[in-house]
Amino acid sequence: MLWQLALRNIWRNRRRTLLTLSAMVISSALLILCLGVFSGMLKDMLASATEQYFGHLVISAKGYQDDRDMFANFPADLDLPALRHPQVTGYSPRLRSFGLLSFANNSAPVELLGIRPQHEQQVTSLQDHLQSGRYLREEERNGAVIGAGLAKRLAVQPGDELVFVTQAADGSIGNDLLQVSGIFSTGDQGHDNSLVLVPLGWLQQLLVLPGKLHEISLRVEQPRQAAILAGQLTGGMPPELEVLDWGQMLPEMKEVVASYDVSRMIIVTILYIATGLGILNTFFMSVLERTREFGVLMAVGMRPGQIRLMVLLETLAMGLISLIFGVGLGVLLSLYMAFVGIDLSGSLTPITYAGGTILPRLHAVLETANILVPAVVLLLVCLLAGFLPANRAARMQPVVAIREE
Amino acid sequence: MPILRCFLLFLLLYPATVSAFDLAELIRKVEQQYNGDSSEIELEMTIKTGHWERQLKMESWSLGRERFLVRILAPAKEKGVATLKVDREVWNYLPKVDRVIRIPPSMMGGAWMGSHITNDDLVKANHIDEDYDFTLLEEDERRWVIEGIPKPEAAVIWGKIIYRLQKEPLVPIEVEYFDEEDVLVRRIVFDDVQAVSGRTIPLRMQVLPVEKPEEKTIMHYRKVKFDIDLQEEYFSLGRLKGRR
Repeated sequence: MLWQLALRNIWRNRRRTLLTLSAMVISSALLILCLGVFSGMLKDMLASATEQYFGHLVISAKGYQDDRDMFANFPADLDLPALRHPQVTGYSPRLRSFGLLSFANNSAPVELLGIRPQHEQQVTSLQDHLQSGRYLREEERNGAVIGAGLAKRLAVQPGDELVFVTQAADGSIGNDLLQVSGIFSTGDQGHDNSLVLVPLGWLQQLLVLPGKLHEISLRVEQPRQAAILAGQLTGGMPPELEVLDWGQMLPEMKEVVASYDVSRMIIVTILYIATGLGILNTFFMSVLERTREFGVLMAVGMRPGQIRLMVLLETLAMGLISLIFGVGLGVLLSLYMAFVGIDLSGSLTPITYAGGTILPRLHAVLETANILVPAVVLLLVCLLAGFLPANRAARMQPVVAIREE
Repeated sequence: MPILRCFLLFLLLYPATVSAFDLAELIRKVEQQYNGDSSEIELEMTIKTGHWERQLKMESWSLGRERFLVRILAPAKEKGVATLKVDREVWNYLPKVDRVIRIPPSMMGGAWMGSHITNDDLVKANHIDEDYDFTLLEEDERRWVIEGIPKPEAAVIWGKIIYRLQKEPLVPIEVEYFDEEDVLVRRIVFDDVQAVSGRTIPLRMQVLPVEKPEEKTIMHYRKVKFDIDLQEEYFSLGRLKGRR
């Protein structure tokens, strides 16, 4: 009975109700969109660091990631149970070298990653960022996939022959020819200007480190939970090796992710305080206008508690309606932004920040938390905003209320 | 009072202003001792690190302060690897891939041939007397201790250099290199002083990085010839590749 009354009441002043509803629908929809775009930016940033270079987890000799010492290597044929963990979806054995890459009269300092093409593609996605040429092939002996900035600096095209020089593990001057297979462009300055992928076997031979690796990079199902998985995997490791998650390799990035969770709450709070005040205003007005009506209801025997409940049910009903439409609209907008997005590359260049790159595009990601948080908070705000008017209505004296003009 | 002040000022400035030119000249002589007008030297370079130790045999030619060529003779794996310096540029030749590589400015701090000598040392050592201001720290009847501080506009990597020089005959005993934070980074110690080809020079030079006490590079001169007949054209990219 109270529900029926409440529903009828909210449709009595249609214009007011629709205005309030639209405010709630739009604010929650925009909030969902806004959080989705925010998450998209964060995901791009995290992906640029992990899925284009580090991987989510890295197994390496203890201390290797601090100074990248060439001699902190380990044999490739170790049997590591971590690689068979169900949450590990791919792994890539790697050897790393720093040296000088040269073509004709141009030279540049570079970072070489010796990889096995089929494995590396399980972990990083550079194959999706090729600007020209093609990715390394399994049987290729001395191919090289190089960053676009580097290719520009050296003035090379796919097919050109490069010389790489570095110091090998026995102290000799390691030098050999590479042939450019492809050129990748990720937008990340650091990688585009200095990273080169080469076959693992070729680099092992050049560095005189046969059968050795510097790291095994892993891809996991849930990147945000990588730290927990790293802790679980550490148990099965030989004592000289360690497992690091992306948060340990990129502490700044971890801070950015943590601060994102805080700023999400701040945005939700600010937007909903405004919406909440709007709802509060509407209900106060409607309660004031209906003073006589409440007086009559009480005079015919309705108890104050029922009156309070009825007003609260009115706000709850409006909350639920706007929730359905708000979330629906928000998800639709987010889906549009997820599949189409807005390209800003005409006016912006990529920004590298905290070890990751923010791409010049607006692009949303659908995450449950981004929908759940606005939805739950919207209902709470509705009930809070309804509480004061409901209380006021409940505390009225029937005789005074009926006489009210 | 003004007279006294002038006098004090004069006293303070006198040694510095008068000896500045002489000290730079002295350092120039020391830094140039191996080069002379021209030289042909056969040397052994022993490099020791925590992970490996190796010995390279090389031959080198120099002309004035701007031209220098060095080629590895042994071991076989690196035979023919060569470095050419002309003015402030450095090239390496790699016979295995038959390519010449120009060392970019960003790699000048890199190790030369895997030793504790940097490419920068090859390029800038010859300009130390131009890039630094010198003051005499100590002097006794046998030696000088001279401090070099980079001139404000000089693009150099060291924050301070201290030379210990023997007076007679004039040879360096030790040179200490400090970084910008005034921390001692490496020492070069000279010994085995002998008279060869009309000059008295230390034939052995040890480069000792301070942070890694187990590491060092020793250069030992085996055959030294000064003032030979060399032309500027000798120091060409063709010569770098070992084509006569």
